[in-house]
This record gives sequence, structure tokens and C-alpha cells, in this order.
Amino acid sequence: MRFDAVTVQVLWNRVVAIVDEAAQGLIRTAYTPSVKEYHDFCCAVFDERADMLAHSTVTTAGFLGIVPEVMRNFLKDFPADTLKPGDVIITNDPWAASGHLIDISVASPIFHRDRLVGFTLCIVHHLDMGGRMSTLESKDMYEEGLKIPIMKLYEEGKLNPAIYAFMRANIRVPEKVLGDLRAQLVANNVCTRGVQRLLEESGLEDLSALGAEITARSERSLRRKIAALPDGTWHTQALLPPLPVTKEQILIKVALSIAGEQVTIDFTGTSGEVRAAVNCTLNMTRSYASYPIKLALDPNVPNNDGCMRAITIIAPEGTAVNSRPPASTWGRTMISHLLAEVIYGALEQVLPEAVLGGNGGCPANEIYLHGRRKDGSRFLAISQHSGGFGGSTRQDGWSTLCFPNNTANIPVEVTEREAAMIYRRKEFVPDSAGPGRFRGGLGQAVEFEIIGEDLEGGYVEGSVRLNGRTEDGSFPIFGRAGGKPGRGGGLWVDGQQVEHGIYRRFLPGQRVRFTLGGGGGYGDPMARDPAAVLDDLRAGKVTAEGALRDYGVVLTRDGAGVDAAATDKQRRGAR
Amino acid sequence: MSSYRLGIDIGGTFTDFTLVDDASGTVRVAKVLTTPHQPELGVFDGIARLEASVEGFLAPTQAAIHATTLVTNAIITRSGARTALITTDGFRDILEMAREVRYDLYDMFIRYPAPLVPRRLRIGVRERVMADGRVLEPLQEQDVREAAKLFRAEGVEAVAVCLLHGYANPAHELRIAAILAEEMPDAVVSLSYQVHPEPKEYERTSTTVVDAYVKRLTATYLDRLADGLRARGYRDSLYMMLSNGGTATADIAKRFPVRIVESGPAAGVEAAIFFGARIGLSSLLAFDMGGTTAKLCIVENGRASRTRHYEVDRVHRFKAGSGLPVAVPVYDLLEIGAGGGSIARVNDLGLIQVGPESAGSDPAPACYGLGGLDPTVTDADLVLGYLNPDFFLGGAMRLDKAKAEAAMQARVAEPAGLDAARAAAGIHAIVNETMAAAGRVYVADKGKAARDLALVVTGGAGPLHAAGLARRLGCPRVVVPPYPGVMSSMGLLAAPIAFEASRAFRRRLAALEVAELARAFAGLAAEAVANLPPGAPGEIRRTADLCYHGQDHALEVALERAPDDPGIPALLAERFIAAYEALYGKVDDDNPIEIAALRVEARRVQPAPTVAAPAAPVAGAPHHRRPAWQFDTDRFEPTPVYRRGDLSVGQEVAGPAIIEERESTTVIFRGDRLRVDASGALVIAVALADGSDADSIDDAAAGTQPPPASRTPAKGS
Repeated sequence: MRFDAVTVQVLWNRVVAIVDEAAQGLIRTAYTPSVKEYHDFCCAVFDERADMLAHSTVTTAGFLGIVPEVMRNFLKDFPADTLKPGDVIITNDPWAASGHLIDISVASPIFHRDRLVGFTLCIVHHLDMGGRMSTLESKDMYEEGLKIPIMKLYEEGKLNPAIYAFMRANIRVPEKVLGDLRAQLVANNVCTRGVQRLLEESGLEDLSALGAEITARSERSLRRKIAALPDGTWHTQALLPPLPVTKEQILIKVALSIAGEQVTIDFTGTSGEVRAAVNCTLNMTRSYASYPIKLALDPNVPNNDGCMRAITIIAPEGTAVNSRPPASTWGRTMISHLLAEVIYGALEQVLPEAVLGGNGGCPANEIYLHGRRKDGSRFLAISQHSGGFGGSTRQDGWSTLCFPNNTANIPVEVTEREAAMIYRRKEFVPDSAGPGRFRGGLGQAVEFEIIGEDLEGGYVEGSVRLNGRTEDGSFPIFGRAGGKPGRGGGLWVDGQQVEHGIYRRFLPGQRVRFTLGGGGGYGDPMARDPAAVLDDLRAGKVTAEGALRDYGVVLTRDGAGVDAAATDKQRRGAR
Repeated sequence: MSSYRLGIDIGGTFTDFTLVDDASGTVRVAKVLTTPHQPELGVFDGIARLEASVEGFLAPTQAAIHATTLVTNAIITRSGARTALITTDGFRDILEMAREVRYDLYDMFIRYPAPLVPRRLRIGVRERVMADGRVLEPLQEQDVREAAKLFRAEGVEAVAVCLLHGYANPAHELRIAAILAEEMPDAVVSLSYQVHPEPKEYERTSTTVVDAYVKRLTATYLDRLADGLRARGYRDSLYMMLSNGGTATADIAKRFPVRIVESGPAAGVEAAIFFGARIGLSSLLAFDMGGTTAKLCIVENGRASRTRHYEVDRVHRFKAGSGLPVAVPVYDLLEIGAGGGSIARVNDLGLIQVGPESAGSDPAPACYGLGGLDPTVTDADLVLGYLNPDFFLGGAMRLDKAKAEAAMQARVAEPAGLDAARAAAGIHAIVNETMAAAGRVYVADKGKAARDLALVVTGGAGPLHAAGLARRLGCPRVVVPPYPGVMSSMGLLAAPIAFEASRAFRRRLAALEVAELARAFAGLAAEAVANLPPGAPGEIRRTADLCYHGQDHALEVALERAPDDPGIPALLAERFIAAYEALYGKVDDDNPIEIAALRVEARRVQPAPTVAAPAAPVAGAPHHRRPAWQFDTDRFEPTPVYRRGDLSVGQEVAGPAIIEERESTTVIFRGDRLRVDASGALVIAVALADGSDADSIDDAAAGTQPPPASRTPAKGS
């Protein structure tokens, strides 16, 4: 088979279609909203060298750097030449795989005509893995739940029941977690069949030649884009918001270097790992450090192993971005989600059009609510709401849109069917957007109330995690290119401000309210089109005071239009 | 005296008509330009043309059945009503928040369609219903009256009402409708519990808003159309095709216009079902390929697959999640960015990419000579010799081969390092593979195998690519009906009048009481039959949606046996497990199996139109030969070209060959064998790429199900 331009395109499309088909199988057979609605998963296919050829279109950026490494790590323990058809390998090891115990990776070898031709992998963020739930307070991994070492879940089609037995004995909602785990097996089955069909129909012996072609073309594409940039090193550093409980502040240092066709992101000088559940494993750091580069330089190439080769990540061992076992990692997104924005601080110096204003909901919000009912049943509801997306060189940020991760909200009506709570409010916050020529998106205010007369013990337990970013803090929701920071963020229980990220007891009738910030603005707000400000005013997205204060826009006496002359004067004064 | 039925299909460019004389079986067709601003004018124009040959046909016409793209167009062009939204207090922004997720992980400049209701017209009212339908807080009626006051001042014409858990208890939505009827009697109102009574507030709100947005316009248009038909002598009700292929009186479309968003494409699927049935095929893949898009739809046992996930007004037409969700039953069509106008270019990776951008009719393919410089699929097909530059639209339009070749050379061949012919061959192959790649996922997703499906082609551009697509997909047979260009309007007359009733029914199989199941099915059957127009009773089809306890997504399992048979639970379990393992493999699930929902469809078959296809009395010879590209030898070969009207019934043609007719061109390759069926359809046995041969054409014509493909090598390959 020769690989001309036509054949590569045809087969490449096919490979992406296969993993998308696998993702559909996963969604359709999953048991929890975490997979069905939230979409915190990744399906991927590899050639026999374990080079990733494609991942599912529906996924989140957190898996970018992880997925290629998981497969290589699996093969260190179970070399490819020892694998048999029907084998299934499993782990939730944060270092070997996806950065915290609650993600389970499941992989299988793909055989075609009695030969190993590749691998299929599916990673899912599960509802529970035992241990302390949903808190940043855990000091090491042992508090965080059950660890499944790299093991065979199936050996030549035969289930190892001990693994399910241990899981059942250690987790709170085993039928749901095991249900989602079986959906991962479905995804791998669907992927395996797809690859076998592709080989059958294309006449290829295996995936290696195609894989080499896909990864080489992708690598060349990114290298060409990098080569067009000036060589040099750009430095930036940022002190992250204080952690709950310990109040520690982690310093992230980044040196972004461009040398010829290679980009290097060097975290040397970053703070050491901490005794709070926010530490990143190297795989996790790799995901969010490479994501802004991919986004800025080569977004149109479907992601694969080749897309990472021109990016070198240096993260000294023992730092918060390359922690060692047994560091606690549950809330590692508290660091990893911010890496893209830290790197933007350096990237902005060389390529200002390739950065976004900060995202008001980053690091991602997460709510866990867990309780038992008097009939003995348990519920465990996870949900997420997003802040405003950053402004960019081309457009305003979208209100309440996820970044840099990419997970959907779980509908209010779905969560209320599971958990003993009702939402009271989920609404935009006026004036929360960071002002700019292109402003950020609006953040939101969310309020919920605990209800339920049938709660065992009369309470619900859980946590609300926010990002801790404030306008005057060390890590605001950055504006870019002269834009201003986004605003908002806080947690209140019955009107009392409380600390986020901590596991608490909530009582029926209690009202929990939190806000997620607006996105950072891009460009000088005094250069924003006054007509756009007027539109926002009419929509209630900015107030009249906000229009004047943030944009220097003066309204006519009746409030219905812009007083152009007064606005000009106001804006000249503001500059 | 004659009695007629009239099918009217309004598409983006043309309005098509089929008039069937049920007494004689005579079929007449007409095609006029669509008049987008007042679509009924085009309809009246077409009727006048039919009147010229069949004077006074409307008075003895029994049914006029209509399909239209009106609703979708109104949304895309934002020409619907000034619409407001009432929500539960605190949730007015749900419509704009959507699902807070990006449909493209790598696009930092991602875009979304603007919501149909601006924020100032989205008002929350104090009330609260809980997930189980209990009322936590009563409706504050004053809030509704104040909202109405604002809406009046703002000139609002339509109001959508979507309260949290409104599907579980509609009391508050109904009360709001009553208050709005007092406060703003001229406004149209859509209630979420009527439009889409299911959980997930964003999808339900979006669907309800779309319904309200197009309600007045749809009603006004349908009234004008019905009035005009009446004035011309038509006496029966006007019927509409719904997005799921059901046919209902225009009243249902006026009450729930959102249900006709996909009525046009549904008519195309019905045409494929009809023609498949004429030659005994009940499992098929309906294939339509036009200028911008191709559509595929699976039909099994005479039924098209359905879904409730549809989007209108996508920013990126082929990216799921970039549009406004509309959760109504629609035929589960796959729409692919591949058509005759799809533009080819060489991307950053040095690879040829075709579509999804289309040259449309402006600038149009390069060979149209209208200034287009980008090579398109049509240009490639011309360069490859498949299209005849002197016989496009029967010769009414001349194609410029030199312009096609120049575009090919400059924009694709040189950058990719190929000659023009190979570049064109690449484009042809890629567009076929683009359709096939999407088609494979779609077919697999439905748990079907392509080798069990015949490709039935409607639309003009399809016949040229059908054999190539079938080969890549693994479909053993292609059917090209007569008049593929106007077949959709025929589909309207061929589709059964059908209505589906369904209800949630959560029961574990282990604890299922068959008497209760039988009662539920009987209730649904009564409801479905009651919704058919009066007349002879229809046939009843029962299905159950099954899943493992804890899952959402269910598999539909048919139930022919009497629903009170005690063996039912075991039968359902056995069928469910078989279907599940066939789709997903064996995963040792030990959760209990449960029923999620029951469905009953009542349908009444319409008298089938008989289409006398034009055919020559004796087998025709090739009209001429011309060089056409053959993929197996990688070169141009002199290829026989037939005129379709010269072929006789039963005549066989072995590929490679080209069959030309006025609105389309059929191309077959070496190993393919074409036979003219008695119905007038061209039935092509496709030589499949895996070395297997299709079953004989005679079996297809005799109506047998395709046997597993034999292992004999394909002829000539």
C-alpha cells in the first residue's frame, strides 16, 4: 500500500471516526451523569509501537499529555509480546496514568489475523474511588482512596473477579462505578472492531505504516509553525491563589524557549510539592503545558503522538508540577488548569494574538454532594458550572464557557433527580466581565438549597470548589493586551462567606451560594465600540455605572443612547 | 371519475410536484423555482402548470401532502416572530448558557449562534416545581402579568414558557398560558410540557423557543396555502409530512411547528423506502447527494431510524454542538459536507481536503464558467470524463472542461505534486471516502452491517457517486429510481399515514406484570389510532425500550407477540442481551434489565403510486464512448455511454459504463453489473472491495433478502 496524499487523508479520517464511534459506545452504555452529561473521558487508538494515532473529538484537554504516556506505561509492566487477545489492562495510578485516583484507565491489545496490531484505551473520571471524598485537605495518596496498580482485569477473556471485589468493598456507589467501568470495556470493544474492519477493508497488515505517516506529518506541521517564530526565551512567573486550609501559595515559574523547530517549557524554580491534594503528576502537567501551544500554533491537525514531539516539558522532580508518590493529587486541576494561563504570560510577549484573557471559572468549579437516604440508598452527585471565557483578538469571550478543560454542565434537572437539593438560581452576573476592547464573557451566580426529609442522619456532605482568584490577588483573572481582569468568585453558606474546597456537612434548609468570575478582557476597554457597550447595557450585562467606569461610555439623558461627545471626553480623560 | 393525490415538496432551490391519478396510476411531475419570501406562490405556479395538462384536477384530489424547509429557513435567516421567554425565577440565562462546553477543543475563536430570545425579553417568574412534580412554591401570578406588560411594550409576538421540571407537572405552565391569553391575547404561546415533555432544561427551553419563534409564520403560511388550494377547488384538508416521516393534518404543524423542521429530508427518505419496496427491498440506506450536502438514512424493515437529537442553525454545519438543539422526533439522517459543489484544496499537511465549504451557485464550480476558481467535486467529475459537458441538464447548460482542468491544476494538482487527472481522481475518491467514513460510523452506531443494506439513491448528484460509495461502504447493491430529481415529492404520496404514541414505563423485567404491560400497550394503541385521520383502521406496531438499570440510553426491541403472553419478559431479556452484545461486545454486566418506555405506532398504507418508467422496447446500444477514469487501472479508458431512455426493461449493462439522463448521470465501474428493473429503477450489483461479489440482480428484483455475500472473486478485478 502506498501512502499518497489521498490514502493518508482517507485512512486518517477513518481512524478518527473509529475513536468517535468508541466514545458513542461509552456514552450510550454509561451509568452516571459524569460520563453521559459531563463528558470527562477520552477514547484513543494506538499503533503497535504505542504511538497514539487519534483520540475522540469529545474529550477534555486534560487527557492530551496523559493518553500517550498511559499506554507506554502499561507496556512496561506487560510487554506487548506477552499480551493475548481478550486481555484487558487497568490502573488508576496517578503517576503511570491520569494524575489522580478517581480516573480509571482501561486498555486492550488489538489483534488482527493473530497478530498484535495496536491498542485501544479509554479513560474515565469516575464518581468515587473510596477514601476521603472531594476535598483538598488530604495530605497523601493513602487518604484519597483505593489504588489499583497496573493489573489485568481480563486475561484472555477471563475476568479477574478480585479486582471488582476490592472495588465493591472500597467505594460508596459500586454499581454505578462498575457500570461506568463496563462502559469503558464497551468503548474498547467498539474501537477494536473498528480497527479490525479498517485493516480488513484497506488491505493493510497493521497500523504501523499509517501511524508513522500520521505522526510524521503532524510533527512536521507543528515544527514548520514553530520555525516561523523568532528564537528566544521568554520568562514569566505567577503566585497561585492561596490554598484552602494551609494558605500556602505555590509559585509557578515558566521559561518558554523557541529554538529552531522546538518549543521548550521549563518549570525550573517552581515550588515543591505540598501536603494538600493539588499536586500534579508529570503527565498532568504535560497536558496543560502543551495545550496552549497546540491551540496557538496548529489547532487544525487532529491531535496525535506527533503533535507532542516538538514540545519539550522540563519539570524538576519533587515540584508541585512533577510530584512524587505518595503526594495527594485529587484536586490537581487547582494547579494544572492554571498552567495554560501562566504560559500565556510568556507567550503574549512573542505572539500576543495567540493568547486569551483569563477564564473566570478556571480552575474548574466542582461540586460533590453525597448522602444516604433512610431506605439505605445512597446518592453521590457531581456537578460543574463555568465562568466567563476570555476575550481575544477577534471577539468577546463567551459567557459561562469552560476552559482550558472542556466538560459540560450537568443539567439542573438531572442533578435534582439524584441529590437532595434544589437549585435556586443560575444566572449571569452583570459587570463581571473583564473590560476590554473585546470584553470577557460573563460569570455566573449559582445558589442551591438542601432539601430532604428522608436523609439518614439529617444531613448531606460535600464540597464546593472554586478557584480562589480575586481581582486584587496574586493571580487575577488576567486581562491581556491592555484588557482588564474578570471579576467575581466566592462561596457563602446562609449568607456567611466560607472557604471553598473543604468537605462540609450541609443541613436541610441551608442555602449555598457561589459565584464564578467573568473572563478577562482583551485590548484597551476605552477602545471598545460604544454601540457594543450599549447593547450590553440593554441586555443587562453591564450596568450604567459599569459602562461609565469600565468603558468611559456616557449615556444620553434618557439613558437610551450614547452621548458621543461626552463619551469622547470621558475616554480622553481616562487615558 | 379520476381521483388524484398531490405531493408538494418545497426545497431551497426548487419546488417539486408529483400528481398521481389513483384510478389510472398515471403520474405527472413538475418542477418550478422556489419563491422563498412567499413560498405558496411557487406552489400555485406549479399547480397552474399541472392544470395545463390535467384541467380541474384539484377538485377530485383526495389528499394534498406537503413538505417544506420553511421552518429551518426562518431560523437561519432570523425571520421568525419577536419572541420572549418566561422561565423559573433565577434561570432566565439557561438559554444563553447552553451546556457551557466547547464543541471544538482546539478552536480558541469558537463561535455559537445567537439565542433566538435576547436577554431583556427573558423573564423569570417566582414558582417552583420539584423533580417528582410536587409544587414547592406556588406561582406568583403578578410576576406573569408584569412580564406580559413588558412584552406588550416591547412588541412581543410570541412567548415560550419553560419552567424547571415543567414536564413533571404542567400546572404552572398552563396557568401562565391562561394569564398570557388574558394579558396579550394576540401573542402565540408555546409550553415546554407540550412541545418536549422531558428533563434537561437547556434542550427543552431551546426546543420550546424554536417552536414559539416559527409558530405564527408557519400558521400564516399554511393558512394562505390552504386558502389558495381551496380557491382553486381543493376540498380536503392539507396534510404535512413531519420530521419523523409521519403524516398529519396541517393543524398539528400549526400547533407544533417545530415538528416539521426536517420534513423535506424526511420526504426524500420516504421516496427511498417507496422505491426500495417496489423491488422488494425493506432494509436499505437512503442516499441523497446535492450541491452542498449528502444525506444518508438507514431503513430497516421498511422503517427509517429516528432520533430526538437535532440542531438547527449550526455555526459549522457539520460540527455537532455548534447549533441550537431541537429535541423532536426526526428521521436520524446523517448530513455530510459533501456535494457536487464541495471545494477541494491542499491543506497545511500537504493533503487534499474536500469540503465542507461549497461553491454553491455563487461562485459555483469552475466549469460553470461563472467566475469560480476553486476546483469542486463537479469539476473533478467532469475532468474524469464522468460528466458530459454537452449533456448537463440535457444540454441546457454547457460545462467548460478547460476551466475545470485549469482550476484543478492550479489549486490541487501542483500543490500536491500530482497531474490534473490524478488530482481529480483523488478528489472523487476523497469525497466518496468522506461520505463512506461518516456513513460507517453512522451504520455501526445503529448496529447494522452495510452488507445487508442496498443504497437507494434520490436527488440529482447521487447516481454518479453511488456505486463508488457503495463499494467503500460495503453495500452490495445500488438502486437508482426513475426521475431521481423529483423523487421527494413522490415520497410524500408513498409514505404511510402514521402516528406514534409513547410513554415512559419504568419496570424491571424480573418484576414485570404482563397484564399491566398489555394495558399500557392498549392505551397507547388507542391514542395512536385516534390521531390518524378518520378512515380504515391501520396496522399496529409495538416496541419496548430496554436498558440495564441505571443507564439512560435504551435499545428498541420489537414485540410481535401478544403483550399479555407470560413468556414476554424472557423474550424481551433474550432479545435485549442479543442486541446489546451485537452492538457493544460482552462485558459481563450483572445489573437488572428494565423497560424504560413503550411505543406504539399506528400506520395506514396509502395506495402506492405506480410509476410507468420510460423505457425502450428493445435493448439499447451505447450512445457513444468517451474516455473516463478507471480506478482499478489508474487511467482513462474508452467507456460506453448510454442514454437512460434507450435502455429496455431487463437490459443488463456491465461496468465500466455511464448512463446519462436529463437531471443526472449514473456511473458504474468494472465488476459492477446494472440491470433495468421492471419498476424502471436501475439496479446495480456492486463488486465489493473485499473480493466478495454481490448476490445476483435477479434475487434483488425478486425481493429476497440479500444472502451473505459469496466468496467468489469479483469479475474483472
